[in-house]
Amino acid sequence: MNSSEPCSPGVENKILEVLEASRLVVNKSESITTVQTVSFSFQKGEIYNLIGPSGAGKSSFLRLLNRLDEPTSGRILFRGKPLNIYPPPELRRRIVMLFQEPYLFSGTVLYNLEYCCPDKNRRDLSGVLECVGLPLNMADKDTAGLSVGERQRVALARAIILEPEVLLLDEPTSALDPASARIVEDLILGLVRQLCLTAIIVTHSPEQAQRFGGTTLIMSKGSLVESGPTEKLLTDPKTEAARKYIRREVS
Amino acid sequence: MEIKYIDALAALALVILAIGLARYKSISAEKEMAYGSIRAFVQLVAVGYVLEFIFNTESIWLVIMAVAAMLLVGSYTAGDRDKHTGRGFPIALISMTAGSLVTLVLMLALGIITTEARYLIPLAGMIISNSMNSSSITLERVGADLKGNRLEIETALSLGKTWQEASRRIYRNAVRAGLISILNYLKTVGIVALPGAMTGMILAGISPLKAVLLQIIVSYMLLSAVTITSLLTGELAVRRFFNKAEQFTG
Repeated sequence: MNSSEPCSPGVENKILEVLEASRLVVNKSESITTVQTVSFSFQKGEIYNLIGPSGAGKSSFLRLLNRLDEPTSGRILFRGKPLNIYPPPELRRRIVMLFQEPYLFSGTVLYNLEYCCPDKNRRDLSGVLECVGLPLNMADKDTAGLSVGERQRVALARAIILEPEVLLLDEPTSALDPASARIVEDLILGLVRQLCLTAIIVTHSPEQAQRFGGTTLIMSKGSLVESGPTEKLLTDPKTEAARKYIRREVS
Repeated sequence: MEIKYIDALAALALVILAIGLARYKSISAEKEMAYGSIRAFVQLVAVGYVLEFIFNTESIWLVIMAVAAMLLVGSYTAGDRDKHTGRGFPIALISMTAGSLVTLVLMLALGIITTEARYLIPLAGMIISNSMNSSSITLERVGADLKGNRLEIETALSLGKTWQEASRRIYRNAVRAGLISILNYLKTVGIVALPGAMTGMILAGISPLKAVLLQIIVSYMLLSAVTITSLLTGELAVRRFFNKAEQFTG
């Protein structure tokens, strides 16, 4: 869908490389290091879970990846080139971010899809609704009347219509009830496989990370404390910080 | 009708009436009323002498200096109210100068007015005071609405929109807010109230039909100046909230 390259998860194919990235936020009263010398390589077509306690810097880290924020030191490469080589709108169409609370523009669902891709016709746009499990007649519905679950799915449809290569998801199911959350989880898993996307998902729940599978990164106090295959990491963490976090969350 | 100083002093009876009523109702505004009335008297008399001097000398440089001083004070007042952009004064100064100059130059070019001080100074005064209000409102709306709608802005940016596209709704609403007062004025001019310039001319004994012609010109002039000022203020203010990497910094 988004590139002519074959999608072969598991084969070395770096799409995003983070090289010792840090972000220092200077406020009037204090300066806070939200992300501290994080280095990691994300592969094409894989799922990554970003877990850790509140304030660990997960969302702050995610915002660096599509340049909503700038690292104060270190570098981030997309397809081997620094992020600042790309014009920001182009970069953000290729690395799309979805927020915890989905924001839909006032108007119809179709307007929200058109907003992203004004060149696409109504049939293509409505077709994307099916990809996220919404009925076609939803296109003409006003977004004000949608449930949170539907809103999140429209937001997902709006993101994939851009045919991104990387999807950044900041706690995509935190506002949903367990049943709706499972539906959205399955959708994300399906889309990642079907469209060969790289998904980087911030979550508070090790159980959710387990369901997503893939690779998990544990962050604490702005630093990446441990990473590895999700199953292995959650059952046998190597570091004390990861052990503490998983034990507390699971209990 | 010829007005003398004694008439202005006689009008003090109205001030005394207002102060008396305020005291009777315990509004606690008597001191401010007295101070304001004295200040208005002194200011207006001083301005009268200054204008008399400028009109008599007919120096274009004095006119330019007077207009520049009005622009500086007006833009400082508009910018001073701004709590969001941190650059209210220069934004208001640039916008108001552009709005005033474009409008006045066009009026000169179309032969509607001449470079005489008695035209330029009062018209510039009207333009600047209206532009000041418009700039001030636009600045406030841009800042408050951008800061209050971070999620909307960052959602649009995250979907690959430029900073102009991401802030378009807020920019448009802020400019419209800046235009409300002139648009209301255009709708009600002559019906709800007779405008100051027209009232002045009628009181000075000029035919209402002639006064109306001038008022039409003044109305269109204000619309032009206020629109340019508001558009430019909105543009410059919105720009302050984004950096070169199209990141929202509000």
